Amino acid sequence: MDKFWKIIAIGVLACVLVIALTPYLWILLTSFKGRLDILAPQPTWFFTPTLANYPAVFIDKDYLPLVFNSLIIATGSTTLSLLIGAPAAYVFARSNFAGKEDLFFFFLTTRMAPPISIAVPLFLFFTMLGLTDTIYAVVIAHTTFNLSLVVWMMRGFFAEIPKEIDEAAMMDGRSKLGAFVRVIVPLAAPGLAATAVLCFIMSWNEFLYAFILVAFEGRPITVGIPGLITPHGTLWGQVAAVAVVATLPILVFTFLVQKHLVRGLTFGAVKG
Amino acid sequence: MMTAVNPSPRGTFLLDRGASLPLLLPATLLVLVFLVGPFYYMIYTAMTDLSFANPDQKGAFVGFDNFRKLVREDSIFWGSFWLTIRFVVASVAVEFVLGFGLALLIWRFIERQRLLTTLLLVPMMLAPVAVGLIWRLLLQGDFGMVTYYLRQFGILSQASAVFSSPALVMPTVIAIDVWQWTPFVTLIILAGLMSMPRSPFEAATMDGAGPWRQFVDILLPLLRPIIALVLLLRGIDAFKEFDKVFIMTGGGPGTVSELLSIYAYRVNFKNWNLGYGAAVSFMVYLVVLILCSVFYKAVYWKTAGERA
Repeated sequence: MDKFWKIIAIGVLACVLVIALTPYLWILLTSFKGRLDILAPQPTWFFTPTLANYPAVFIDKDYLPLVFNSLIIATGSTTLSLLIGAPAAYVFARSNFAGKEDLFFFFLTTRMAPPISIAVPLFLFFTMLGLTDTIYAVVIAHTTFNLSLVVWMMRGFFAEIPKEIDEAAMMDGRSKLGAFVRVIVPLAAPGLAATAVLCFIMSWNEFLYAFILVAFEGRPITVGIPGLITPHGTLWGQVAAVAVVATLPILVFTFLVQKHLVRGLTFGAVKG
Repeated sequence: MMTAVNPSPRGTFLLDRGASLPLLLPATLLVLVFLVGPFYYMIYTAMTDLSFANPDQKGAFVGFDNFRKLVREDSIFWGSFWLTIRFVVASVAVEFVLGFGLALLIWRFIERQRLLTTLLLVPMMLAPVAVGLIWRLLLQGDFGMVTYYLRQFGILSQASAVFSSPALVMPTVIAIDVWQWTPFVTLIILAGLMSMPRSPFEAATMDGAGPWRQFVDILLPLLRPIIALVLLLRGIDAFKEFDKVFIMTGGGPGTVSELLSIYAYRVNFKNWNLGYGAAVSFMVYLVVLILCSVFYKAVYWKTAGERA
């Protein structure tokens, strides 16, 4: 009887996997299709693949710089968030002071704030500073939400390191800052790496801040996507090629940090 | 262990104030300058008539006029508000039921879960803009792959295309959100299931309790914090939904799928009515802030406290 239910369960899960993965498979296939295969009223699963879509959009339409912009923005905001956020997380993990939990909650609200609410004043603020339409504006905007992810996740990772290690390091004559940089950070390296990858993913996938803050110069690949869709005659092969390039690196990264993903997605509340 | 969350009066002053401050200050400053500052600026802007579309409206102070107009007269805002609430409730409810069911199936029947959960992650890790794009292609009226099969099976009539049909557009948007985010529920519930103690179930089996009783009396109470967590996180995220819907429908046809974020976007960046737009943005923020404090009070504090 149990065997019977197990077969049913595997069947259901197989169907779920098909539903979950087919749409992505389809965009992958579409990116290698010629125009006729794409526009065929009956879906074509087997076709003669072409590589033409990729150079057509990345070289001819000059979308390649957008990929580099995405890389710069994601790397920049990840680095900044870790540099600024990890020390703060360490303080939250180690010391007690009045209002600590309130400050900690305050960092959470920054992560949860709806981008449309923050983007509007940020847009006005950056206009004042003359930073709109620059890559810096997006790096800063992404740092604001990644920072709280770092603070929330790293607090948990630091708290898992026994306090005795800090004490021993300080007994050896290191300063508190020295103990943090030379002893604690290396011990928390796996956690830091996982957090970094998650920050990178969040920044790479983000759309609304970047869409509002930059129109041309410095726009990342996500912002380039809407421009390819026109009411008539959208070149879906090229759109698909952009979508594939915009998503494949993230899927690779996801598989790398899978172990820590649950923790990251729940802000450290679930260990996974 | 989140020992640090435990607010014991005798704290470990491993880092005294002198060493903590420089470590904490940059993060706090950055948030103050780039989030809190703009936030108050938004509230200020919401009390002005600032508009980039009308040269007469240079940003004169108008007090609470925008809020009054928004709450009392703006039927589009309220339509959008209730649409967003319906969207959140419907998509999160479906995601929860399906996600929970899947998590139970995996937990009960699958021993080697790694590959399965990895593959299930794909939809939710894709950039939401890309998800919108993928489904726009799949649901094209003339040559969309999913449209074709829906018509073959008689689910969709020959003439209609989902994104231009006022009746079909919201159910479709909800279905796509379900497609993307059900794995999130599954993954987190599964993590909760895996960390559950075995002993209460063994004891219940010895006492002769059936699977249903065990589910209601043991499993659900044990999972309650995680269930609350999943519902709140998904609720907050769904309330902020913008990217997918913006790419797929742009809020249309008409304003049929114009969720609050999209309405706020339109007022601010299409009509360039920034004073009024700031008031709309503030209302969106307010709802999220309320949900967020509930999350913190009900879920995080409690689970962290229990584990400490």
